[in-house]
Amino acid sequence: MKLAWLRSLETSHQDCVWACTWVPATDKSPGLLLTGSLDETVKLWNPEDLSLVRTNTGHCLGVVSVAAHPSGKIAASASMDSFVRVFDVESNNTIATLEAPPSEVWQMQFDPRGTTLAVAGGSSASVKLWDTAEWKLVATLSIPRPEGSNSKPSDKGNNKKFVLSVAWSPNGRQLACGSMDGSISVFDVQRAKFLHHLDGHTMPVRSLAYSPLDPRVLVSGSDDERIHMYDAEGKTLFSSMSGHSSWVLSVDVSPDGAAIASGSSDRTVKLWDPKMRAAVQTMTNHTDQVWGVKFEGGVRGCLLASVSDDKSISLYNYS
Amino acid sequence: MAEEMDSQEDPVFTQLTEAVAANPDDPSLHFNLGLFLWEGIGSESKEKAAEHFVIAAKLNPQDANAFRYLGHYYSKVSVDTQRALKCYQRALTLDPQDSESGESMCDLLDKEGKESLEVAVCREAAGKSPRAFWAFRRLGFLQVHQKKWSEAVHNLQQAIRGYPTSADLWEALGLAYQRLSMFTAAIKSYGRAIELEESRVFAMVESGYVFLMLGSHRKGVEQFQQALQISPENVAAHYGLGCGLLELSKECISSGAFRWGASILEEASKVVKTGTFLAKNVSCMWKLHGDIQLTYANCIPWIDEDHVLETEKALADSILSWKNACSSAALSARRSYQHALHLAPWQANIYTDIAITIDVINYFKEEKKHDPIQKQLPEKMILGGLLLESSNNEFWVALGCLSHHVELKQHAFIRSLQLDVSLAVAWAYLGKVDLTLSKSPNFFLLSMKLWLNVDFLQLYRKQGDKKLAQNAFDRARSIDPSLALPWAGIALKADEAYDCCLRAVQILPLPEFQMGLAKLALLSGELSSSEVFGPISQALHHAPQYPESHNLLGLVCEARCDYPSAITSYKLARYALNTSSRDASKLLDISINLARSLCKDGKAYEAVQECEELKKKGVLDREGLHIYALSSWQLGKNDQALSVVRILAAGVKSLEPQKASTSISFICRLLYYISGQEAVMTSILKMPKDLFKSSKVSFVVSAIHVLDQSNQLEAVVSSSRSSLISHEEITGMHFLIVLSKLVKNGSEHCLGIQSGIDHLRKILHKYPNSYFLRNVLGYLLISSKEQKDAHLSTRCFTVRSSQSECRKEKGLKCAPEILGASTVACYTNNKHTFPTCKDQSTPQHGSLKLLQKWWHQEPWNKNARYLLILNYIQKAREERYPQHINTGLEKLITLALSDESLSCPYQKFQLSLCASEISLQSGDHMNCIKHAKNASNLSIPDDYLFFAHLQLCRAYAAENNHVSLHEEYTKCINLRTDYHIGLICLKYIECQYGLQGDENINIIELRFEECSKDIKYSWNVWTAVWKMVQGLIAVSNRDFVGAEEFFAYACSLNGSESCLFLCHGAICMELARQQCNSDFLLLAVGSLKKARDNCYASLPILQLLLGQAEASLGYKGQWSQYLKFEWSSWPPEMRPGEIFLHMHLVSKQLQEGGYSASRTIHGKNPLRWILQAIHLNPSCSRYWKALQNS
Repeated sequence: MKLAWLRSLETSHQDCVWACTWVPATDKSPGLLLTGSLDETVKLWNPEDLSLVRTNTGHCLGVVSVAAHPSGKIAASASMDSFVRVFDVESNNTIATLEAPPSEVWQMQFDPRGTTLAVAGGSSASVKLWDTAEWKLVATLSIPRPEGSNSKPSDKGNNKKFVLSVAWSPNGRQLACGSMDGSISVFDVQRAKFLHHLDGHTMPVRSLAYSPLDPRVLVSGSDDERIHMYDAEGKTLFSSMSGHSSWVLSVDVSPDGAAIASGSSDRTVKLWDPKMRAAVQTMTNHTDQVWGVKFEGGVRGCLLASVSDDKSISLYNYS
Repeated sequence: MAEEMDSQEDPVFTQLTEAVAANPDDPSLHFNLGLFLWEGIGSESKEKAAEHFVIAAKLNPQDANAFRYLGHYYSKVSVDTQRALKCYQRALTLDPQDSESGESMCDLLDKEGKESLEVAVCREAAGKSPRAFWAFRRLGFLQVHQKKWSEAVHNLQQAIRGYPTSADLWEALGLAYQRLSMFTAAIKSYGRAIELEESRVFAMVESGYVFLMLGSHRKGVEQFQQALQISPENVAAHYGLGCGLLELSKECISSGAFRWGASILEEASKVVKTGTFLAKNVSCMWKLHGDIQLTYANCIPWIDEDHVLETEKALADSILSWKNACSSAALSARRSYQHALHLAPWQANIYTDIAITIDVINYFKEEKKHDPIQKQLPEKMILGGLLLESSNNEFWVALGCLSHHVELKQHAFIRSLQLDVSLAVAWAYLGKVDLTLSKSPNFFLLSMKLWLNVDFLQLYRKQGDKKLAQNAFDRARSIDPSLALPWAGIALKADEAYDCCLRAVQILPLPEFQMGLAKLALLSGELSSSEVFGPISQALHHAPQYPESHNLLGLVCEARCDYPSAITSYKLARYALNTSSRDASKLLDISINLARSLCKDGKAYEAVQECEELKKKGVLDREGLHIYALSSWQLGKNDQALSVVRILAAGVKSLEPQKASTSISFICRLLYYISGQEAVMTSILKMPKDLFKSSKVSFVVSAIHVLDQSNQLEAVVSSSRSSLISHEEITGMHFLIVLSKLVKNGSEHCLGIQSGIDHLRKILHKYPNSYFLRNVLGYLLISSKEQKDAHLSTRCFTVRSSQSECRKEKGLKCAPEILGASTVACYTNNKHTFPTCKDQSTPQHGSLKLLQKWWHQEPWNKNARYLLILNYIQKAREERYPQHINTGLEKLITLALSDESLSCPYQKFQLSLCASEISLQSGDHMNCIKHAKNASNLSIPDDYLFFAHLQLCRAYAAENNHVSLHEEYTKCINLRTDYHIGLICLKYIECQYGLQGDENINIIELRFEECSKDIKYSWNVWTAVWKMVQGLIAVSNRDFVGAEEFFAYACSLNGSESCLFLCHGAICMELARQQCNSDFLLLAVGSLKKARDNCYASLPILQLLLGQAEASLGYKGQWSQYLKFEWSSWPPEMRPGEIFLHMHLVSKQLQEGGYSASRTIHGKNPLRWILQAIHLNPSCSRYWKALQNS
């Protein structure tokens, strides 16, 4: 279990890079890396040599999230002005523009089958599900208000539930979203029902990832500098790992389920061994906070990409 | 038969017989005929065939085929094994690759049980030809059968070359590898077999076992599950699946996911139960079932979350039902072990298993614990095991653990160490026993359960035997560092206790460790960390009957600010305590904890009740009194609170300084809130001064001092300040001093910001690295009404790139917020206009990005969003409101306005105005008016409200609605504002739309004069602007002389603003032109030169005017030089046509003047200049004329 640095691109964007994801390979094109930045652009990269495939423009403010359809043909990007642009990866034609009702868009992810796009939506304390065939809003999964605070709608109770992150379980049945108060909410997607909270974090949960091997294992990263592992069904926090010296901004689980990668405000990328509950490797090649880490889940083996406020993208080989 | 004869007489037969008859010496013809007959049915035909084969063989003794068929004949038709063997032998010697005869021969030999002969035959054939694959295959199988694994591997590999798709071969190869412990190779071979034939159950089961052996339990389980799908009654697969699931669950349990582990174990138990039905007399299946049940008994979590436990009985019931579930699982385990032992009584380890199970049952069933027979039983069972295998060190360890006699324990551990000196477990336990020996033996039981208890820890520090124990623990750790027990043991030693204990908990999630960890965390201040929260909530799953576990969970929740959960936990802790020991001191602790949490959660009434309860019992201590006073005050029972405060105050002197200062500051604050400033000051003055020698108290006293205008506390404050030591405390105190300056030096309506700024500047010189003070200074500078200060503001602090660092610094405002505000306050852009003044800061282009970063990091932060919108609107204005930005902005503003939690009305006002402006710019007058009206309806000071009406004025003006415009204008006038800029704008509007009535002539000017005079430095600046506006209005009225006066006045008021001088210069030139007066020209040149000198960057038009003025005065030499400056002062995309014309003129002049060598600027042809000018503005006739002239 180790990471080997492959290559970096220093000024991939003109400003902070905030989001990254892998577009799966199709029969026409190899797997590509998709990044979004504060410079209001979304870029597609070829991981072989980190050459720029295309630059998409059109967002009015910084791009906060990118998501790729499992088919590799469609991708979506969202910016701070809450417009989600869905586009064809090959031609860059806009397929749909999703305008969320007055609520922000902070993170989004396609479900593993590709029929739904989940959009984590800020102060509305909910996750919106968009149908990918007709691009219609099909469901809104809301976090129930805590008891006792439902008297005043304007009270802070709901504001604390500001939703920051979202993740689909690998079987597509469950969906988890992380909030500002440190709680994680788990939903049953088919019944559109809230199941339970997972407690343990005390500060905003910025990133969530399910283990690709086991739909019970949910990994989360939070501003409290810790990475937690939950049994999402038994609602148990069974592992808490500390080692970052600042916020954990992004986490991802390796395709073999044996390692966790994390990016943090302390400018490092760390690789964790969940069994040892400790970081086994620390990459210090970034010079500013690392907003995104993502494993490539495809056939090609394991690449890890990281993006950072220092405007650079780095690729590592995971083995 | 007749028919068959007919069939024999078919053309082939006749042809063959004829051929044989023709050439009776040709063996191949005989063979063919024989073959044909062999195919026929009936022994008669076979016999005939045999005759022909004999002839063929005789004629050609080298023909293996004939011999083979003869072999077949002897073995099947006329049963004569010996002959058959000989024939086959012959065939094989002739052709060793003949698999048919080889196989047949081996089958014959096999039937007769001559295995060694079979091997010999195969070996011979294999030796003769490497392509005799049948022989290799046969040999491989035989060797597998004979368990000659390494030889088998070789032969099977060879055989697979010939039969690469034979699943049997692959399977056999896999088995051989497995037995040779080449596990990865085995897995590959089995995998190939399964790939070739999906229903290979044996391969699946075996590869499953290999996976288990390699530790990939998950893959193993998959294999077994597949095998069971194909063959649902396969016992081996059941057993394997049970094992795999057990291992998986153990993985979960050791990581702390008990509920997950339990659900896996339930599944495993089901599988193995079916297994025991299928094979009732397999001892190991029963043992596995016992193992699973025992693990299950140890891992069932106590579940409390589905329903809230409100009473003692509910808790007791739920604990009882949990215990019953555990013990019934253990009982079931004991039953299964007994089955296993019954079937295989010689298995010593089952005795130990039963012993351990009984111990577990005793743990859960309280009543049995006291039964002497039950108590002795485990020991007895272990002795049974030891009788069978007296040299098994693990049994000795088990005996040591389960025995109730300390001496026997020690003996057992030492015995096991004699057997294996590197046994870490034994060393660890021995260490523990040594520890307990040094104290009374009956303390042991307690320590067994709660032996990380902190009191216990302190007790044992002093014991003599400690050294011995330490030694034993260290040994154990060096032998096996993954063993949790020794780690926990080390926790007895030193300050690193917390870390060691954390490690122990992570390795082995036992409730005792977890509770110990929480206790240590309480001491080391790590209580809110999730490394503690996780374990302590797990501890509750396995030790719900201990009040301490609930209490600790409560403490952890409280530290994490989750008060409701803390309250529930404390209540549960009290129930648990009431049902078990009723220890009074613990009860007090828990009650105090409960009262504190209730108080923190805002449930003052309940907190008071809790305290009164304690008071009745007479056990309310100092902490309790604090809570009592605070919650009484929260309830509004001030008298009660005061009486409690009196009790507290009476006891202060007898306290140690740390606690005393806490009490004092509490008393002061409470007194302030209850009796007010005066009362608290008199009490402070009454108290002895040495009580204030603490930083905590100093802050409280200073804060009261800030609000006191009469400075009564001066002496107390200054003496208490001496106790401030740390850097942070000192800067914090300076902040308080600044606040006091703001309050004390300010006038009635307005804070003394300037004096605050002065003080901060001094202090910052002392502590230049204090971000906190810098931010405060920045904030004060923006708040100041002096114009220059806003520019300074951005320079006095730095925004650090990582927000997370910023958040750690507490303060009035955070750095990005101040930056955002100051960029709005000090607005310059350089895209379409030009900086005109040296004081202006460089454009803050980064601020929009910075604010986006800030908002990205704290998306819930309303202020970030608000400032982002304001900065974004600046950008929109800079770019002349392009459509795409407008849409985005509109959305952002709607979102922000729809947010009900937006508490500050001023922000709402600003946002409404922004929305209105955006609508105005996109031509949507309706919405513009709507938003502006919304803004005007907000309840904010008139000063601000003025701007809403001003915006309405603009909207109505854009709509050409003069009636409403006039109304709004009047409202504006009546509202007044202290903001000069508002009046200036109003003046513009007034003049542009002719609103100036007779009655309010110059009323705006009067208002302007009234405008706040308290800004000293900027007064002139504003008046200058005012004069300039008046001048511009005069210009538009074509009153140039009046305009010149205004401009000249403005210039005299603000000598650093180049724009004023430019205006003055321009107007002078116009006057000079009109009146042909060269005095004005001189004035113009003077002003323009001043403008140039004051200018920060080169200002367009200025140079051109200057050139023109000088040229008119006769200094033509500089002309081209000025023009060159002029040219470079325009951004390329904005150069007007006029400048091209001038470039044309000057280059033409130069050409005519013979300066062709210099080739003018950029070496362009004069003709091209004028063409470019015409291209830019084709409607201007002067350009065309110039073109004609050239």
